[in-house]
Amino acid sequence: MATKASQGMAVPAAMPDSSGEKAVEGVPVPTFDWMGLSAEWGTRIKPGEHGLRLSDLNVGIYGEVPEVWEDQTRRPRGALPRPGVPPLPYNLRHKHQMWADSAANLYEEAIQRRWIPATDVPWSSLKPLPDDVERAVCQVCTELMQYANTEIEIITYWQDQMSYGYYEVKQFLATATFDCARLIEALRKRALSNGGGLGQESRGLVNRMILESRGGWTESAVYLYLMRGSYMMLVLRGLLNAAHNDAERMIYGKAIEDWARHLTYGYDHLKYSVSHQAGQADILQTLLTLGEIMMGAELQESTTRPALAIIFGGGIKGGRTVGMETYLHLVGDFVRNYLAVCDWLGVPRAEMLHPMLKKYLEY
Amino acid sequence: MAVFPSLDWFQKVRDVYNSDGSLHKGGGGACHTTAAFKVNGQSYLIVFEGLKCADIRTPTDSELSEADFVIEMPFELWKAMVANVQSHGKADLHYTLNSLDLQQDEGIAYSPADDQYRQDLFYRYNQNFQDFFDASARVETTFA
Repeated sequence: MATKASQGMAVPAAMPDSSGEKAVEGVPVPTFDWMGLSAEWGTRIKPGEHGLRLSDLNVGIYGEVPEVWEDQTRRPRGALPRPGVPPLPYNLRHKHQMWADSAANLYEEAIQRRWIPATDVPWSSLKPLPDDVERAVCQVCTELMQYANTEIEIITYWQDQMSYGYYEVKQFLATATFDCARLIEALRKRALSNGGGLGQESRGLVNRMILESRGGWTESAVYLYLMRGSYMMLVLRGLLNAAHNDAERMIYGKAIEDWARHLTYGYDHLKYSVSHQAGQADILQTLLTLGEIMMGAELQESTTRPALAIIFGGGIKGGRTVGMETYLHLVGDFVRNYLAVCDWLGVPRAEMLHPMLKKYLEY
Repeated sequence: MAVFPSLDWFQKVRDVYNSDGSLHKGGGGACHTTAAFKVNGQSYLIVFEGLKCADIRTPTDSELSEADFVIEMPFELWKAMVANVQSHGKADLHYTLNSLDLQQDEGIAYSPADDQYRQDLFYRYNQNFQDFFDASARVETTFA
């Protein structure tokens, strides 16, 4: 019965039979005027080999992702606009400000690969650790929780301003905040379940830099993913390498997979932004020049430095030798990865790398 | 008894991996990727589809160049990793893919197309691949 309307407006729809029955007294007669209104009707998407995925829905007008989304309402992409709806402060309305081709599939992956710290983590595998090691683990948990809650805060700050024309990105970022919440849960449980407790709050130089990046979501993504995220991935990988039991092994292993999705989105978005917005590569260069200073300062001062060295060295004594060497090599890997990704993005940093980061290339 | 490395060995591991869902605990989710292992001059292509290892075969040059990522390390390290899995029932912390990647200066995984997105699949599906190699504990193995 439905036919596709030209220019997408009124679509003939099945209307209820009004010939015989009378309306009940006192109850308004429904008009069903809205039933004929659709921008595109008759869509029948079939599940693919991986099921019915978000990216499969991008057919017809529903798959038209414009470079600019002028609409400042909450209208879902493809729905008919309603005249008179007041605008909302969706200030990010350009595709290059948030887009990543991978977002829809990363969303699917995130909801499919969810895990439950309460029951999936084998908590009974926790065994008492030497006091210095337990304190170091708890200190690292404390700081990583702050990394994660910084990510939640900055994503939600910008998510509020992202227009619905790019809903795949909003969907994915919703899963990223949930990943963060889950990591906070898992780390808090780890810290409070083996005789220790939370350690000291982080000084938070990079956290503050991320939270104060107000030039746009892309600027935040530079600090959140390219700098902090790349570092956090190495920290998680180092922790997995030094896990003391199956509980830690599962937490860090799962967190690595979660954060790999975040980095994939972040790198993909930055690549899109650089390749679709004139001058963006130069802007990233400036941001990175500033960001490297903060990152270098935090690496120097953060309590994660001695805490991770103690974990990698099996105690304070080992932390002074092999543990610190392992930590420095880990940071060296972070800087090398960072430079490689910068090259891939078309924002080479090797020649301009700040000395506070450059020194780690020795390790 | 299967000989490592050989296509027969990898296929036996695949059969074990696919036959027991309890071996998928680390990955715990669907995995869609085509990767390759380079072992002692020989390449093996592995195709993951959902919760299964759909295929493992000897790749053509073209298939190898189109793999999402390749895992390559010195043969002695491959042997040590498999032997470690055989001894412990799963890789201990010195012989996980993550550990070996950290230990090697250039890492053990790379994208043949130098594509960061595809390279990152190594980390997104890291535990699925670990589960796969841990399943080799149930394959009676001898070394070439």
